[in-house]
Amino acid sequence: MMSKATLKNAFKLAGAACFVLQATTAFAQQGAEFFKGKTVNYIVATAPGGGYDSYGRLVAEYMQRYLPGSTFVVKNMPGAGHIIGTNAIYASKPDGLTIGTFNTGLIYNQITKESAVKFDLSKMSWIGKAAADPRVIVIAQQSPIKSFEDLMSQKQPQNFAVAGPGSASFVETVMLTNALKMPVKMLSGYNGTDDQLAMRRGEIVGSIASRSSYKAFVENGYGRMIAQIGGAEKDVPQLASMVKDEKALGLIALVQSQGDIARLTAGPPGIPADRMDALIDAYKKAMEDPELQARAEKLGLPVQPAYGESVLKAVTAAINQSDETRAMLSEALKAPKK
Amino acid sequence: MIDVMFSSLGALLTSPQTMGLMLIAVLIGLIVGATPGIGGRLSIALAIPFVFGMDMTQGAVFLLTMHAVNGTSGQISSIMFGVPGDGDDAATTIDGYPMAKKGEAGRALGASITASGVGGIIGAGVFAIMIPVLEPVILAFSPAEFFLLAILGITFIAFLAGGQNIFKGMIVGLFGMILATIGMDPQTGTTRYAGDYLFLWDGVSLVTLVLALFAVPEMITLAVKGGSIASVSMENVKYSYKQIFQGVMEVPRHWFLALRTSIIGAMIGMVPGLGGSAAAWLCYGHAVQSSKTPERFGHGAVEGVIAPETASNAKEGGSLLPTLFFGIPGSSGMAVMMGAFLILGIQPGPAMLTQHLDLVWTLIWALVVGNLIAVTFLLFITRWVAVLTFINASMLVPFIIVMVAIGAYVNEGQWENLVILVMMSAVGYAMLRAGWPRAPFVIGLVLGRIAEESLHKALDLWGYSFFVRPLSLVLIGMIIATVGFAIYKSRRPSVLDNLKVTS
Repeated sequence: MMSKATLKNAFKLAGAACFVLQATTAFAQQGAEFFKGKTVNYIVATAPGGGYDSYGRLVAEYMQRYLPGSTFVVKNMPGAGHIIGTNAIYASKPDGLTIGTFNTGLIYNQITKESAVKFDLSKMSWIGKAAADPRVIVIAQQSPIKSFEDLMSQKQPQNFAVAGPGSASFVETVMLTNALKMPVKMLSGYNGTDDQLAMRRGEIVGSIASRSSYKAFVENGYGRMIAQIGGAEKDVPQLASMVKDEKALGLIALVQSQGDIARLTAGPPGIPADRMDALIDAYKKAMEDPELQARAEKLGLPVQPAYGESVLKAVTAAINQSDETRAMLSEALKAPKK
Repeated sequence: MIDVMFSSLGALLTSPQTMGLMLIAVLIGLIVGATPGIGGRLSIALAIPFVFGMDMTQGAVFLLTMHAVNGTSGQISSIMFGVPGDGDDAATTIDGYPMAKKGEAGRALGASITASGVGGIIGAGVFAIMIPVLEPVILAFSPAEFFLLAILGITFIAFLAGGQNIFKGMIVGLFGMILATIGMDPQTGTTRYAGDYLFLWDGVSLVTLVLALFAVPEMITLAVKGGSIASVSMENVKYSYKQIFQGVMEVPRHWFLALRTSIIGAMIGMVPGLGGSAAAWLCYGHAVQSSKTPERFGHGAVEGVIAPETASNAKEGGSLLPTLFFGIPGSSGMAVMMGAFLILGIQPGPAMLTQHLDLVWTLIWALVVGNLIAVTFLLFITRWVAVLTFINASMLVPFIIVMVAIGAYVNEGQWENLVILVMMSAVGYAMLRAGWPRAPFVIGLVLGRIAEESLHKALDLWGYSFFVRPLSLVLIGMIIATVGFAIYKSRRPSVLDNLKVTS
């Protein structure tokens, strides 16, 4: 039986919890007041159309709904592989009125200390992430390669398509090819859906890409996924389960952390805490809105959200890499050997 | 197949709601198209929230119509003020604006608007015919063919420069190709001529360059000269529907050219990777090259208006093909469209033919009907719009310069492009004053990028043996024939030169 004292303590604890809970919501409410009648610029670091733009517009629309009195304006700032838009977000006034979304792959650019990068992702005000976008190795239908073992046992290097050098697709393919010693010859410059068409034509055998971008391609019977990095899907074997090498596993983990925190929303460093609480609160309500979920589902955009602190932690963890990984990354970002 | 074809048309025309939506879509599409700097892609992205809850067919028809008529209105400012809204409109400027200067804006608009409509409809026809042979045709074009197609387009420069100017044309074309190398090297990732300027990483903005080379120099000339764009007074022109109708009749008079350029446009649209501007420019080049009197081009030849306009509208029908049946979008605009289709519950892919054949036909008909509505509407209002070319320069030029500046800024949202606009405008004005052709510049810029990227890919894939692929050999034959023809022509004194001597 519970003694009176413990009961009292429990009440106290519950009371304290209630107080804390109330305090944070009150704090968020105070922040929410600020956004009444204000315009929030939501920067999408890429051109209209495509995944980032779709997620961005969806997030902006529903965050506006949960920050009463606010107006969200989506602004596309494409260029230099998301760097222009991200630099702009980072340099904006930290008043909570400028936030935005960009490619998670910028983590690679920061790790290797690229000169164009004028941001520090670990210092940004993280509002949340909307999805996980696991990577897959896709092989064209007409190729005899049916599994990862098949791929590894090829004597001739197989043509793999990647986007421009410096892109996430490029970096990940170089890293994994080198670390796993895959018999792969990389061909760069396949932007957008060029790689899918090239696989249909047969000039390209495979590609390492995000699962969502190849979903329709595989459903249409044009190709098959032979390995996956991260993600909850069970239909494709995990790459990590087929690899023994420690170093390679480390890189796979890095790629996986990329996939886990996809479709980010963040603001510049130093947004006041109450406004951050209000923004995170609105983001959370937006993500939990069944209407948003239904629309995202129709668009083929998976929703697996995380918020504030936990996103920051994941980003920081991904950035803090060993010197060895850093060196491998720098190698991968350099010009390809001919 | 045939019954579905006609029942879809019937269903489309007899549904007042769908037709009402199409009217709205046409209006929005025309307004967006007439505004320089903002493309059709943005309008679809913005329209997506509105199609939620729409019926599958209605939503798809709405978006497709809006997108399809986008190119139809861009020509208005290209012809009247020499202000192209986009890279492909610039091709229309080269002959359209000189026509406006001669007081023939009505004729030029009549011809170009009709040409757009005809192009759109033939594009829809090509779409329908190509369905059974789609796969082999699309898959026949690889980087090797892209490279040779781009080179073929570049050889057209020889004709664009006209007769004795062939060296000037080559210099300008090479200048365009040099500017095409600015930005991130597609192969090595090194930045070229871009330094620390991030806005140059993706290359120089095509819209900004086109505005700087074509629009601003003409406006400076106009401001210096005074008067109005049309060099003849309004009374002399007898401005009326008659002139517009004359323009309309130019299209049937040049029916074979219109048919060829529509088909070429649709084919280029069908093959993802070549891009929209390439269609208009290749067809403009083709019109000059196949003309008996190429020296008229650049001075107000009506064929120079018809060819790029048919091509740019026909390519929409073409680019819908891989989008719908492969689920692989044929252009950036179509990529957005595909996202919208998914929302509407349409899953693009080979199953479209078996499961949604009625929808496919409805979309084909929507292309036809939408283009007809747009053409009728534009021809009707053109009479009033064309009068603007008779307004005094002092009133008109400031407005147009502001419009140009907004266009250059809005396209990428980067202020640095305004600096490029001013710098390149000076170059453009110098070229205009010195009588250097400007069209080869855009060809070099547009096709130079494609040529470089696809050459790298083709060499990586097949080495030099890509030159002996069957389709490659055909294209190489065409290139040699074009060059040979150009040399032959340049040795023969042209009609225009004879005129110059006598006058």
